[in-house]
Amino acid sequence: MISAVCTERDAFMPSLFTRRHGLALLGAAGLPAWAALPEAAAPAEAASAARLRARVGLPPALPPVVLAPLVLRQRRLPNGLQVVSVPSRTGATVSVQVWYRVGGKDDPAGRSGFAHLFEHMMFKRTRHMPNEMFDRLTEDVGGQNNAFTAEDMTAYQNEVPSNHLERLLWAEAERLANLQVDQASFDSERRVVIEELRERVLTDPYGRLFNALPQACFQRHPYQRPVIGNEAELNAATLDGVRRFHATYYRPDNAVLIVVGDFDPPQLDAWVDRYFGPLTTPAQAIPRVSVTEPARQHDERLVLKGPNVPLPAVALVWKGPAASHDDAPALEVAAALLSSGDSSRLNDALVYASRAAQAAGFSAELYADAGMLTAYAIAASGQNLRKLEEALLAQIALLAHGKVSPLEADKVRIQLLTTALLARQTPQGQADAIGRAVLLHGDARQADQRINRLQAVRVHDVQRVLEQYVLRARRVSIDYVQGAAA
Amino acid sequence: MMSLFPLCLGRPGRRHLLPLSLAMVMAITLPWLLVASPAHAADRMAAGAAGAAPDDRSTPPEPQPTRPFALPTLHEQRLANGLTVVVAPRPDLPLVSITLLVRAGPEVDPPGHPGVAAMATNLWTKGAVRGGRQVPAAELARQAEALGGALDSHSSWGAGTLAMTVSSPQVDEALALMSDVLRRPVLAADELERARTQALDGLRVTLSNPAEVAALVLRRSFWGDGPYGAAASPAAIKRLTRAEMMAFQALWVRPDRVALVLAGDITPERALALAQRLLGDWRAPGAPVLSLASAPAASLAAPLVLIDMPGSGQSGVAVAAPFVSNAAADGASRYVGLVANAVLGGGYSARLNQEVRIKRGLSYGAFSSVETHAPGGMFSAQSQTQHATAAQVLKLVREQITQLADAPLGASELAARQATLVGGFVRRLETNGGMGALLVGQLAQGRPLAELGNFVPAVLAVTPAQVQSFARQYWQAGALRAVVVGDLGAAGDSLAAAATPTTPATLRLTLGELDLEQAGLRKP
Repeated sequence: MISAVCTERDAFMPSLFTRRHGLALLGAAGLPAWAALPEAAAPAEAASAARLRARVGLPPALPPVVLAPLVLRQRRLPNGLQVVSVPSRTGATVSVQVWYRVGGKDDPAGRSGFAHLFEHMMFKRTRHMPNEMFDRLTEDVGGQNNAFTAEDMTAYQNEVPSNHLERLLWAEAERLANLQVDQASFDSERRVVIEELRERVLTDPYGRLFNALPQACFQRHPYQRPVIGNEAELNAATLDGVRRFHATYYRPDNAVLIVVGDFDPPQLDAWVDRYFGPLTTPAQAIPRVSVTEPARQHDERLVLKGPNVPLPAVALVWKGPAASHDDAPALEVAAALLSSGDSSRLNDALVYASRAAQAAGFSAELYADAGMLTAYAIAASGQNLRKLEEALLAQIALLAHGKVSPLEADKVRIQLLTTALLARQTPQGQADAIGRAVLLHGDARQADQRINRLQAVRVHDVQRVLEQYVLRARRVSIDYVQGAAA
Repeated sequence: MMSLFPLCLGRPGRRHLLPLSLAMVMAITLPWLLVASPAHAADRMAAGAAGAAPDDRSTPPEPQPTRPFALPTLHEQRLANGLTVVVAPRPDLPLVSITLLVRAGPEVDPPGHPGVAAMATNLWTKGAVRGGRQVPAAELARQAEALGGALDSHSSWGAGTLAMTVSSPQVDEALALMSDVLRRPVLAADELERARTQALDGLRVTLSNPAEVAALVLRRSFWGDGPYGAAASPAAIKRLTRAEMMAFQALWVRPDRVALVLAGDITPERALALAQRLLGDWRAPGAPVLSLASAPAASLAAPLVLIDMPGSGQSGVAVAAPFVSNAAADGASRYVGLVANAVLGGGYSARLNQEVRIKRGLSYGAFSSVETHAPGGMFSAQSQTQHATAAQVLKLVREQITQLADAPLGASELAARQATLVGGFVRRLETNGGMGALLVGQLAQGRPLAELGNFVPAVLAVTPAQVQSFARQYWQAGALRAVVVGDLGAAGDSLAAAATPTTPATLRLTLGELDLEQAGLRKP
């Protein structure tokens, strides 16, 4: 789960690497579009909140909005392809997405960055399409396409005028079945990916720090390798490796097709049968990462140097639970209390009141197998990193042990709900929420149910998980300072 | 982080307030069909043959007939005090985007005092009088966020905006808060100090990124000393005073320069009643609205500026060229210019990205954008690449811009870029925030909202000959200005060769020698 808290700096964007430059990652910066029938706050808490509102002169709280759940249509083809669709005829566009259960964690040994490099190759030649044909089918008719690779997944996201739906289904089936990248395209696109790495990691003033976090956090799980990889291992990748990767992971039973927007359901089913039905699934099992990440035994401290660090920064990382863990919603609410918006605790205390930080945040990035919790602060001019680290920890402790006003809890609930509503506005946003629900929680219905679980989180849940995963857990502290890079 | 550099590419500004009649009520409907697909050249390229058998999966199927798409009706009204109210009702989701627009951006900064508009706009949310009581910044943030949104203030050309997106039950409280913040900000001295420190730290971050430095230097080298070339340097931020903030507020934040834009789940009737209740008693000052003198671009003599930033991860490459103004006289050529920009850098498959990324793998991307102002406009292209290939990328970008004048576009390329432009426009309308931003942009430019209804047909009417003639008029080699920021030592001799062999010579500076307030860019 990607939390809604990475709002302070681009450098702390979730580790998604995309084909395209500068395109909005639908749903990536915010919480997915969980539909909501928000559970009412516990009666005692609600009554206390009402008294408090009256005391501070606020009008009584309005009833929260109620969202209709997504009308999910689900089927599975005999070849194992999972299909989720949501018809809505309010617009004239349709989102066609294919999500594969393969991500950075599946990079072959010594080939860090390969899954993402491969994602770029999916826009190259197939048996029946020339290079970049997807742009002809999307951008050239007024649509758009993008793709991203994350730790556990690779997603291909198209949005087109709805009369082009059949063409996109044809094309997605074609590149799933018949990818045929040539050496020249491979070499050229690899150079692009290396420039992407330089732009995101080496050129962004805080890119090196962001890139170092998973390496610092995970001790055994392949999540420790950044999804973007490194230049030497990208250069070691081969065209033959691309063919093997495609044969291993790009098969119908490892994919989820998601269609949302303006379409006729029986017509969609017929087209899906026609284009995806004939694809075959290999007999051999799909290799899966089965590493269990151990608990950290000792605190560690690292110093990371960069050649252009305008203001030093400190980041603290802890291991978190997997996305589907029962504690996940409480950690996401904790992250929102700490760092969602100007009135969040870290911004209010570190950036505004004490002026110790130029930016500060807390994120809970929970992946399929394990999670990473990060607190960070970029120092204001002349501020000491040790004091900044103490201040971060003090704010977390204050939230975990101190009093939390019911108004503050209400604020976070409505923030999360509004974020969900925002993502609901487009077919792309809805499809994105469904993709995350399926890939991380194993069930498309979680797109709706997760918002209810977030709304149901109580203050004592937040306090318990902060105590367990942060305050009583071992951490790695990383100082990021100016100096010759190692 | 506050952006004190008014670098809002693609969100152009305006200079003049259009004369508008009082109590004007207008409803505009924007009906059009989503563009049909262009020629299926790509299919033929893919399959080599047409007329495949019905069960042949070697060619993509044909598109289905185009489906109609209707846009919300726009309602534009005027309160007696001159305040404009625009509503785009869309009841699908219980969500509303609310924007209060003040038609004044960094272009109104007094000469030699860049940063005033941006700082004043930033300070709106840092304390306001509500119900006769001073409410400090932290409490304002809490009040806004308790409504599920955030109080977002921003300054860009022609526009200071205060915006919130909330679920529909929260609209009344949200607008009441926004109204107080805009009408009665405290602009406190201690908040100015705090924001000044934050802005200076933010600038340190900005100035350590070669691409951002390239964009700033490009603006200055293209526009020269006028308002659109100004950037708030650290020294300028240090000079800002509270008196300047108060003067900005008094001169520009008045109901007859303000528009309220609501997009989403709200009816025009409710919106107007709300506006009347919360903003109707705001009296415009007696003094007339100031008008600004406009100066056209006066570009730096040097066609290329090189800034040395040792250790930077990549080089930032940026090239500017003239573009149309937002004056009514340029109305027809604006659409031609938008298409020309789309051909060069308005999408993944546009020419710059084709040449730099797709064909050669030199960068993660190369794109362009345009902005229009009263005295003229600017086209700018940007890319990031490794130092050793900065000269090659610069050469490719310059060539692509100037070569557009050499030959007319092919029909399929033009159709594809038109579709991209139209598709992007339609997608903005899919969200309340996108719709609101489009309306705000139109109002900030002083252009009629009805013009939005003409966007699609006007873009689709542009011809290859018009694009070629546009490029001949605006994009001659001598009019280009370019900037490369990176590790010049690592770039080697290639950049020296990229410099035009004629005078005036390339200007070469270290980051330490750069002063964005000097006409010549060099610290005195």
